[in-house]
Amino acid sequence: MLSIGLTHYLVVAAVLLCTGLFTIMTKRNAIGILIGVELLLNAANVNLVAFDRFREGGLFDGQIMALFIIVLAAAEAAIAVGICINVYKNLATVDVDSARQLQG
Amino acid sequence: MSFLAQTDPWAGIDVGEQLFAFSPMIALICTMLAVVTCPLLFGRGPRPIAIVVAVGVIVTFYLAMRVAGVVSTGAISGLSPGGAGGMLIADPLSAGFQIILMVFLAGIFWLWWMGSAATERNAPEFFILLLGSALGMALMVSTLNLLLIVVAIETASLPSYAIVGFDKRDKAGAEAALKYMVFGSVSAAVMLYGISLLYGLVGSLNVADLAQYVATMGFHTGESSVLLSVGLLAFFAGIAFKVSAVPFHFWCPDAFEGAKVEVTTWLSVASKAAGLILLARVALTFCAAVEAPLNMQFLEPVAWVIGIVAAVTCTIGNFSAYKQESVKRLLAYSSIAHAGYMMMAAAVFVYAGSPGYTAGLTALLVYIIIYMFMNLGAFGITALVVWDGGSDKLDAFNGLMRRAPWLAIPMIICLMSLVGLPPFAGFIGKWWILVALGGLDSTLGWFLVIAAVANTLISLYFYLRIVVRMVFAEDQRAAVRAPVGGIALVNLCALALLLLFVFAQPLKTSAEQLSRGMYQAVASNTSDSSSARVADSGS
Repeated sequence: MLSIGLTHYLVVAAVLLCTGLFTIMTKRNAIGILIGVELLLNAANVNLVAFDRFREGGLFDGQIMALFIIVLAAAEAAIAVGICINVYKNLATVDVDSARQLQG
Repeated sequence: MSFLAQTDPWAGIDVGEQLFAFSPMIALICTMLAVVTCPLLFGRGPRPIAIVVAVGVIVTFYLAMRVAGVVSTGAISGLSPGGAGGMLIADPLSAGFQIILMVFLAGIFWLWWMGSAATERNAPEFFILLLGSALGMALMVSTLNLLLIVVAIETASLPSYAIVGFDKRDKAGAEAALKYMVFGSVSAAVMLYGISLLYGLVGSLNVADLAQYVATMGFHTGESSVLLSVGLLAFFAGIAFKVSAVPFHFWCPDAFEGAKVEVTTWLSVASKAAGLILLARVALTFCAAVEAPLNMQFLEPVAWVIGIVAAVTCTIGNFSAYKQESVKRLLAYSSIAHAGYMMMAAAVFVYAGSPGYTAGLTALLVYIIIYMFMNLGAFGITALVVWDGGSDKLDAFNGLMRRAPWLAIPMIICLMSLVGLPPFAGFIGKWWILVALGGLDSTLGWFLVIAAVANTLISLYFYLRIVVRMVFAEDQRAAVRAPVGGIALVNLCALALLLLFVFAQPLKTSAEQLSRGMYQAVASNTSDSSSARVADSGS
């Protein structure tokens, strides 16, 4: 009989983390990198909520923190997409490799 | 759910006193709200906004002074039932930093008013972003709770990304904002993942509990030590990003070159100083948790890591500044190097442990105050030259001694102070870091002394390059037209550098008072740290 335990959640979070890191490292499109960042944030969220669920005595700090992270992710996405639109207007692309005016 | 049956958790807590202790931050928030409302009543012109911001900064400064007076007798930790694990901390260090931050914000505001205000069409947005990042920095130095550390770092970072690319038609600004935002959001996300692991291990978001866990469990307890190492590494990487320590410094020169000069000045001092004080607070909490016999065994490697990162940061910053043609970029690399010097002070108090931390922390605070004036002056003069000639290349400074002696002389003072030569205040800042390092009387201390002195000699070259251009290079261009207020600001900074050299002792005494009164965090579950841990019966 299989029961879902803490380890399962941690593995899911670790997979999310690795997928996110892989996305960040391979994508050259700024929006793609942002999607990778969202995966990282959700890996942290899964961890936090799972740790709370399997704690003796039941604390809520992790779940509250997960709520905060959701809000932070939304704020970050808003700012990031705004910056991407601005970059697109100026450079006609959101490829991070094309941003090479500032160097040295 | 047993907590419903408990008595009022707020009983015995003076809510009025606690709200007062955090009034500087509340005042900053109110100023932001006022800036939002102001355009509805008085239009979007820069003048009404400027008045609102000036009043807000003065009120915040006054409240921070009042709070500093109250907490000098004892730190307040609170806005949370239960006292010890309070989310926000008001102590002399946080109040002192808020005072410094407001002085600096006033300087930035003045610089903006002199230069950009006339052509600025989006003044309300600019100041909401600037005040928002100031609020984040004020929060960063007044918390020991992982949740609030994250919120503070993000509150400081998100407006910074936007403000770097504030001018929508500026290609360099857009690119700088993109790079800053990508590096920043990735490092924040990695930091959050690390914190989630730490939370799982420790069962608390309080840094004091985390330190207690590390001190009792150490790194020698099987698989959880891997999680602990990864978590701590990710957590400190997030802080290192704010400080722009190597290898997390790549965003710094690009973001600083692309941003407006006022914004560059703001980020180069305020965000680094806030990150360093946060690092100091966290590191000292770890030191306090480690008992005396374990002290050297645990803290010495940590001090070595911080010391080596500091030395490398210094060296890379200085060597990269060599070949720069843009003065803004040169000063950006110089600010990386200075973050390295300041991190050396952090190595001191980690090495010395909790009893002997004052020397290192005092040196750090003195350095931050002096560094604020040096950078405000140097960037301010760069701004005045850029606004006049439209270029921030080294050539723009040719013959400045003849074209604008009132800019060239303070520039020489600021640059020589950045090198750390007497009789300027930069010497005092470096001197006390070197004294604190020498006071350790250990291999690490002497290694860092040598690194700092060698770096000072290296840095002399590229700062002198600007001086030589200003004094000796021939240039037939007309005299620089600069606003009187701007000239007054940079000369005040230069004067402050001379005065702080003369009155070094009072500066040190007051910095010592700030570091002595620092809040000492207490772990909330000192007796049974094991019972709160996650049940290992996962699968």
